[in-house]
Amino acid sequence: MGMTITEKICARAAGKDRVRPGDMIDAEVDKLYIKDLRFSKAEDPKGLYGVFKEVLKDMGITKAWDPEKVIINFDEQPARSTRRLEGQERAKEFSNEHGATLYEGYQGGIGHNVMVEKGHVRPGEFIVGADSHSCTYGALSCFATGIGFTETVGVLATGRIWLKVPPAIYVELAGRRPPWIWGKDIVLRIMAEMGANGAVNKTLEYGGSAVADVSVESRLSMCNMAVESLALNAVFPPDERAIEYVKQVGNTAFTPVASDADAEYESRLRFDLTDMEPFVAAPGVPSNGQPVHEVIGTKINQAFIGTCSNSRIEDLRVAAKILKGKTVHPGVRMIVTPASYGAYFQAREEGLLQIFEKSKVLLTASECGICTRPSLATGEVCISSGNRNFPGRMGNRDARIFLGSPATVAASALAGEIVDPREFLPA
Amino acid sequence: MKKHFKGKVWKFGDCIDSGNIKGVMAGVDPEFHTKVQPGDVIVAGINFGMGSSAEDAPRSLRNAGIAAVLAESISNIYLRTLINLGLPAIECVGVSTFVDEGQEIEVDLESGTVRNLKDGTSRTFPPFSDQAIVILEKGGLIPYLKSSFASPSAGHDKNLPLWRSE
Ligand code: SF4
Repeated sequence: MGMTITEKICARAAGKDRVRPGDMIDAEVDKLYIKDLRFSKAEDPKGLYGVFKEVLKDMGITKAWDPEKVIINFDEQPARSTRRLEGQERAKEFSNEHGATLYEGYQGGIGHNVMVEKGHVRPGEFIVGADSHSCTYGALSCFATGIGFTETVGVLATGRIWLKVPPAIYVELAGRRPPWIWGKDIVLRIMAEMGANGAVNKTLEYGGSAVADVSVESRLSMCNMAVESLALNAVFPPDERAIEYVKQVGNTAFTPVASDADAEYESRLRFDLTDMEPFVAAPGVPSNGQPVHEVIGTKINQAFIGTCSNSRIEDLRVAAKILKGKTVHPGVRMIVTPASYGAYFQAREEGLLQIFEKSKVLLTASECGICTRPSLATGEVCISSGNRNFPGRMGNRDARIFLGSPATVAASALAGEIVDPREFLPA
Repeated sequence: MKKHFKGKVWKFGDCIDSGNIKGVMAGVDPEFHTKVQPGDVIVAGINFGMGSSAEDAPRSLRNAGIAAVLAESISNIYLRTLINLGLPAIECVGVSTFVDEGQEIEVDLESGTVRNLKDGTSRTFPPFSDQAIVILEKGGLIPYLKSSFASPSAGHDKNLPLWRSE
């Protein structure tokens, strides 16, 4: 019996020939991502570095397991709270003393995008990140999952982590993807079909004839949402498109791993993308997805393109295409927060930022931004390209958040209400 | 941590994200921290602890003295984090419907059973692995690391499959 890509990577990381779903493994980590906030004292009065120092002392060692494999990013720049600032200071101190790679300033942006763009994510690797959306990296055919504060200390000290090998759901993408359908539409549809409890602690493995036509940016967005179906990880096959992308960001040394033809899946789902309608998730949970026509006409106060889910260059291009020569509805705040400074500068080069400016979009620095910071007043409605629409996610429990693709967000910003973006796309 | 314990049940619904668990379930019930007693257990529906991986949420439950969290399903990061903090997190199908708030349940981690002490009915769950029990017994991952790696002679079991010793 063959193995899935996730089982193969887990087996290799655990030093075993094979593993089965449900096996408890002790895996060696190839890469550890840590966001600045984890270094603050928000979760533990001693902070990550303080707890780590104590562990080192008690274990009788002086250094992190392998600082070259540790990457830190400042997700909010400039820091807007003393707590965050303090975390960033500790992160710098850690990186100076242990030699970890740290991204800040124009090198940075939102950590998950920085990880991908700076070439830290490679096919076949076993990657963990001290942030729940670390599952994003599975788009590049690696195993990637989010870990907590305590686990992060454990990985820094030992380079290892325990987890249960997940069973896999095979998600077949079939048919032909219409040009106005992006990763966000597809994943919202899949999540709605699976239901809120559909993928808990499992792997989502994408495959099928339509995968070749799904861009890496869209794949990143789809894997980003894996944690919203409570999957452990999601993964795309290491096809030409993925390998091409990885090489382009400067990686040559990696060993792609693919699933065996006779790999075992717990279940299989099939989605035909032909004639698919754009999808929007209603407030509450991201699995509240429905075809856009169900929510057309919902008045909005804010339209947001940002977050590690959807604000990459593909997203900025689509938004600019829709906004070009038009102005955002006077009743709407439209905010665009590029995914990284890489995407930001690229957008400037392509003239996209000027289009946003003319359309009266509020353009912000690249950071997590209002993904979690208060921006909505009581009763306000937001359509967001982000990944979470929980009550209170954007700072107010009595505001409502819809999720949609950047095209849906941009078109709705022009109309002042949720619309079908297909009617706003220039021919 | 005991492998076998009893506790009074507090019930919560489906899809409670970690942002609303923060501050001892403050987002759902701001007064909960005044009602809950050490040794009580939380019983919830599907997808408990979904969302952010920030550890202030699970820590607030541990610090309030919650003895265990049982739910129909628990987010992966949240489940591992609770165990790494020394608090049993148990996914158990049917748990949210077989017991009422205020009733007492009895949990046995080794056999994987939870029993309603009022009517004697029970539910089962996959028993904890030896590795998870070791971490729980030490009071969480950090105390486990500190004691197990302190020095090779301090009794670190070389056959323990969880970590490779230096
Ligand atoms: S953009 Fe939002 S979801 Fe993504 S890492 Fe930042 S805070 Fe988390």
